[in-house]
Amino acid sequence: MPAVPAVALALLLHVVIFAAALVLPRLFDRAPPLRKPIIAHMVALGRPRDPKLLPRKESPPPASAASAAPPVPSTRTAPPSAPQRREPSRQEMMDRALARAAGKATPESQEPPDPERAGSAAGSAQGTAASAEEGDAYFTAVHDAILEQYVVPSVISERERLYLAASVLAYIGPDGRILKHEIQKKSGNAFFDQALELAIQKAKLPPPPPDLARSLRDSGVVLNFRP
Amino acid sequence: MTSAFLLALLLAAPDRPVIDLSGGRVQPLPLAIAPPAGAQEAGVAIQAVLAQDFERSGLFRLLDPASFLAAPGEGLTVIDFPKWQAVGAQALVKTSCEESGTDVVCDMRLYDVARGQELLHGTYTAPRQAGRLAAHRFGDDVVRFFTREAGVFQTRIAYVREGDGDKQIVVSDWDGYAPQQLTTASINLLPAWTPDGKVIAFTSFRDGGGAHLYTVDAVTRQVRSLALMGDFTTGASYSPDGSRLLFSASQNDNTDVWLAKTDGSGPRRITDSRGIDISASWSPDGKRVAFVSDRAGTPQIYSMAADGSEVRRLTFQGNYNQEPAWSPKGDLIAFSGRDEHRVFDVYTLAVDTGKLTRLTQNQGTNEKPAWAPNGRYLLFSSTRGGKRQIWLVLPDGSNPRQVTSEKVGAADPAWGPLPGR
Repeated sequence: MPAVPAVALALLLHVVIFAAALVLPRLFDRAPPLRKPIIAHMVALGRPRDPKLLPRKESPPPASAASAAPPVPSTRTAPPSAPQRREPSRQEMMDRALARAAGKATPESQEPPDPERAGSAAGSAQGTAASAEEGDAYFTAVHDAILEQYVVPSVISERERLYLAASVLAYIGPDGRILKHEIQKKSGNAFFDQALELAIQKAKLPPPPPDLARSLRDSGVVLNFRP
Repeated sequence: MTSAFLLALLLAAPDRPVIDLSGGRVQPLPLAIAPPAGAQEAGVAIQAVLAQDFERSGLFRLLDPASFLAAPGEGLTVIDFPKWQAVGAQALVKTSCEESGTDVVCDMRLYDVARGQELLHGTYTAPRQAGRLAAHRFGDDVVRFFTREAGVFQTRIAYVREGDGDKQIVVSDWDGYAPQQLTTASINLLPAWTPDGKVIAFTSFRDGGGAHLYTVDAVTRQVRSLALMGDFTTGASYSPDGSRLLFSASQNDNTDVWLAKTDGSGPRRITDSRGIDISASWSPDGKRVAFVSDRAGTPQIYSMAADGSEVRRLTFQGNYNQEPAWSPKGDLIAFSGRDEHRVFDVYTLAVDTGKLTRLTQNQGTNEKPAWAPNGRYLLFSSTRGGKRQIWLVLPDGSNPRQVTSEKVGAADPAWGPLPGR
C-alpha cells in the first residue's frame, strides 16, 4: 500500500524535527543577545544659571510637582519661589509618575519650584536631570527603583571606586518581584558586593509590561553595577 | 512549514536587556561599637574617642547602642553575628581595655558582620592620661583597612585663636581637643606647617614694622624670624619635600610671589605682574603652584610652574576667588569665592576639567579651606554658628562638624602632616 511509506516518512520527518528541536538549541546554546535600553529622565525645572557666576549646590526637586511640562530646554524664566517642603524620594517620584501614567493621579498642589534651582524653565518640577531623551519607560523605572536602594559604602576609597564593577543577572516576575538573582561577576570588594545585593533585595520594581514579562521572567535582565 | 516555524521559535533567543547602574548614594557604613569589656572607666573613655573619630570621618554611621540585641557581656571572640546583623550592623568593633601600671592596654578588633569574619585585631598601649592615642591609632588602622589610605586621627591642626585685639597661633588634635597656644603677643596669622610637623611658619605684626614671616617650634614654642622683606611679607607655604618656601612680599608697591630656601634665604621673585599675586599653594608633586592674582581685573585662581613659568588662569566664574589650597591627591584645588550675594563660600576646582563644585551655601561666611594630609577632609573657618570657628567637611561638603569652640573665634586653619613623616 502506498500509504505505508508515506506515513513512515511523515513519522521519520517528525522524529527528525523533534530531535533537532532538542539537540540544536544545545548546539547553539549561548547567552541571549544583549540590548541596552535607554534610561531617560525628565529635565529639571529651574532657571538657567549665568555661566559667569559661581555655581550653587545642586537643589533637589520640590515636594509637590507643578503641572507637567514637556522636557524641552527653554530660556523663559521660572515663576517665583515658595517655601520648600519635605523632599520626595526617587521612589515616591517614580510612583507618582506611574500613577499619573495609569490615570490614578490625585490632584497635586501647584507649588512653584526653588527659583535658584538650575535647570530649564520648561522642564518638570520633578525632573532630575539637566538634559533628557526619549527612553524605555519600564527599564528607566527599574533603573531608578534599584538606584533608590543602591548605597555605596563610603569606606570604599575614591581610587578603588574607579575600578570596581559587578554584574548581576536578575529574573523579574510578572508582579515586579525579583524571583532570583545570580552574581555573574563579583567586584572583589566584599562590602561593595554586599551593597548591591542589598539594593536588589530592597528594590520594589513595578510589574513589567506584557510584552516584556515573559523574557524578564525567563531570561532576566543584566544589571551592571559601578559605584 | 510547521517544522520551520517550530525550529525558528526554538532557536530564537530573546534580547537580554542590560541596565548600567552607577552613581549609587555614597553613605557611611553602618558600624556598631559593642560595649567595652574589661576596665570600664578606661574602656568607656576610649570608646567615646573612637566613636567620635569614626563619626567625624564620614566613613561610618554609628548604630545606637540602645538598639543592640546582643548580650552586653558578649565576649571578644564568641559573637552572635545574626543579632548584630539584625540591628543593621555591617561592621562591628569590640574592645577590651586593662590598666597596667601607668598605661592602658586595649585589645581592639574589627569584624565583618555579614560574613562573621575578623578583619582586624591589635593590642594598643598608651599612657593612662593619653588613652585617646590608643583609640586614634586603632581608628587609623580601621580607616587604612577599608580605604587603603592613611587615617588622620593622630594628626594635629593649627589655627588662629582670635582674642580681644590679638590673634595667636594654636595647635590641637585633629578634633580640636587639647588646644595649646604657641604665641603670646601681637597679631599672628596664616599658620603653615613644615612637612615634618615640627615647625609652623606664620605671618606676624610683632616687630612693629609691618607684616613679616616667623616660625614657631611646635614643641618648645621658640619663635624665630623667617623672612623680613620690605613692609609686607606673608603667606608662607613649604614645598612637599620641605626644601623650598613660597611667600608673598610687597616691594615698590607691587606684591608678588617669592621662592626661597626653607630657612628664608636666597629669595627670588617668581611672578612679575603689575597686579597683586598672593596666597601661593604647592601642588603635591612640588612642580606647580596655585596662587591668586588680580592681573585680569578681579582676584582669580591661577597656576604656574614652580619657577614662575607657564602661568594659567584656572577660575573664570565669580569675581572674587581667593585662598587656593591644592589637594594632597592633586586632583582638586579648594578655594573661597564670593558669590552674587557677596558672601564667601568654599568651592573645589577639578584641576583636569575645571569643574567647580560648591561645598558651602547659605551658612554664614566660609573661608580659608585647608586639606587633610590624606586629602579626605577639609577644614575651613565659618560663621555659621555665630562666632567664627573651624569646621570640618568631606570634599563634597557633606558631614560638617565643628572642630573648635574658641571663646572669641578661630580662623586660618592649617592641617599638620601624617605621623611618622
